Amino acid sequence: MTSHPWPVIGHAWAVLNLDQAATEYRPAHAYLISGPAHIGKTTLARTLAMALNCEADARPCGQCRSCKLIASGKHPDVQLIEPDGAHLKIDQVRALQHDLALSPNEGRFRVAIFNPFEVATTEAQNALLKTLEEPPDYAVLMVVTADPELLLPTIVSRCQLIALRPLTITQVRQALTTTWRIENDRANLLAHLSGGRLGWAVTAASDNSILDTRARRLDDLIVLLKSNRGARFAYAEAITRKEDHARDAIDLWRTWWRDVMLAASGSNAELVNVDRAAQIQSLATHLDVGQASAAAEACGRALWQIDRNAVPRLVVEVLLLDFPHLASI
Amino acid sequence: MRVSCLQENLAKGLSIVSRAVAARSTLPVLGNILIETDQSRLKLAATNLEIGISCWIGARVDEDGGTTVPARTFVDLINALPQGQVDMDLAVKTQTLSVRCGRFANNVKGVDKEEFPIIPKPDEHNAIHIAPDALRQMIDQVVFAAAADESRPILTGVLAKFSGKTLTLAAADGFRLSVRTTALEDGVDEPLEVIIPARALAELGRISGDQVDPISITVTPQRSQILFHLTNIDLVSQLIDGKFPDYTAIIPKATTTKTIVDTGLLLKACKAANVFAREAANIVRVNIVPGDELTPGHITIGATSAETGDNAGDLDASVTGTPIEIAFNVKYLIDVLNVAGANQVSLETSHPSAPGILRAIGDDAFTHVIMPMHIGGR
Repeated sequence: MTSHPWPVIGHAWAVLNLDQAATEYRPAHAYLISGPAHIGKTTLARTLAMALNCEADARPCGQCRSCKLIASGKHPDVQLIEPDGAHLKIDQVRALQHDLALSPNEGRFRVAIFNPFEVATTEAQNALLKTLEEPPDYAVLMVVTADPELLLPTIVSRCQLIALRPLTITQVRQALTTTWRIENDRANLLAHLSGGRLGWAVTAASDNSILDTRARRLDDLIVLLKSNRGARFAYAEAITRKEDHARDAIDLWRTWWRDVMLAASGSNAELVNVDRAAQIQSLATHLDVGQASAAAEACGRALWQIDRNAVPRLVVEVLLLDFPHLASI
Repeated sequence: MRVSCLQENLAKGLSIVSRAVAARSTLPVLGNILIETDQSRLKLAATNLEIGISCWIGARVDEDGGTTVPARTFVDLINALPQGQVDMDLAVKTQTLSVRCGRFANNVKGVDKEEFPIIPKPDEHNAIHIAPDALRQMIDQVVFAAAADESRPILTGVLAKFSGKTLTLAAADGFRLSVRTTALEDGVDEPLEVIIPARALAELGRISGDQVDPISITVTPQRSQILFHLTNIDLVSQLIDGKFPDYTAIIPKATTTKTIVDTGLLLKACKAANVFAREAANIVRVNIVPGDELTPGHITIGATSAETGDNAGDLDASVTGTPIEIAFNVKYLIDVLNVAGANQVSLETSHPSAPGILRAIGDDAFTHVIMPMHIGGR
């Protein structure tokens, strides 16, 4: 392990690799950090920026002026470049190139973090290629993305890849109880629901509406299973009125069907929705493994379609028709 | 912080530093001006991370301290105040700066100065000194030739080469090159080459108007910044990283035609030609004919536009060598003639597609190279 632990939870091998690069002041010119949302990609990128520019011996110290400015996003040499509106635009890349031509102001390195880069326009991505190819010695570019497949292959091939994986449930639970001081039961539930995304768990811990929405959507699902087509279509119309609502709900339902499938098969694997174990067990008695797994697969298919710009309302309607009809639960 | 100063001084200081305030930036604090006590003076500073300007004004300091205040608000406020004494008092906890002048009481909300980027201080020990007039003339003669577009960042800068007892500034944008050398008051031990953003030098030229004492120049040990120290003003600029193209290769070694002509008359002829040339891609045709024993040589500057008409301005000139017709961008000619600073200039050419050299007669230290434009159908 590292001599001075980075304030990053999990991702031990990535931290080890980056810490060594920072200790020797020999970072790669560009990193591509990929992984699901909320697992700590930007935190990792920002921590590398701290380690590279920290003034103390044990870097990053988190205490010096440089570390504090980076943590609050106010360091003159560390830029977080986020989409301007829906996209990350070529003008933003050009502005960065102007800044990168100048040597660093306070620190040793100029660090630019693109978060997330998959929303960059093709022009913006192409404009960055030259910089990625031969940046100045003091520049470190960090491209953050949910999925490298969504970027131009020419971008990916110019970066050192760091693929982050979700944390284990134990890691998330431990982090929640020790670092964020959340009581055990709640931490346990959040850890299971998080799917290894610590950032999500921390947000959900401070924002009750996230768990409330989840509970409501699971209740909705039970009601829907008992409902006829008319009611299901009405629900599809209602939930697709707001962008993202449908996607979130389907994502949640998929975990639910996974749990039901496990319960129906008699497996002992850990459930995601641990707080609803009784409900899941009782539902499992009405279904066989095939039906549950078909429903879970339907959810996966629906997500795939929504991500590829299918009309959400149609997708949800088809999905709800695929769900089994259970009059007596 | 509790401090008093004169409104005139404060307004003047703000007008100097506010040129470095970032108009739009990802860091909101860059839109602010740092106000800080420094011994018995008041220091004002602003930076856009490319150029930082600090300015000291006389003040009575009752209590040390400092803060940063939004530039627009503060500058507008100070300019609106009547002449006379301004008393400023900072409430540290709320970072509110109370500004009193006569019977005007104002409170400006500030941001903690800890967030403000550090502007390095010059190290007088290794400073290079140069007379302000000489530096200003160099800046005028070179900076305009730097590239305006960002596609090659290095060309947006000016190469500064310190070597022995001379300083050479060079700038090029792909179509023209301007080189100017001058003597330093005290030499440098080791040759030093840095690329300074053209904007920073232009700004330096602007703020050094009142400077009498030599300007001292220092480059930070990491070669990341250059500092110009004036009597009450410091200008710090980030340096551009990279290698400046070898400009000496662009200056033709030998030419076949040398034309010496009055600077003012040539400038007038170019301006007249510009009236038509601006409708025709800025092209002017320069026709050079050597004289013989009876008639003097001629240089004719002409432009033709399909829409607006045409003209030709004929000037007497001392021409040695072969006749030539060559085309230039008239804007570039006007730019260089404006700053040549001599009564006569020489234009050296050899071929319609080879660069021309323009020098000031009696001043070997200035060289300007202009690429010709293509004129078809000859």
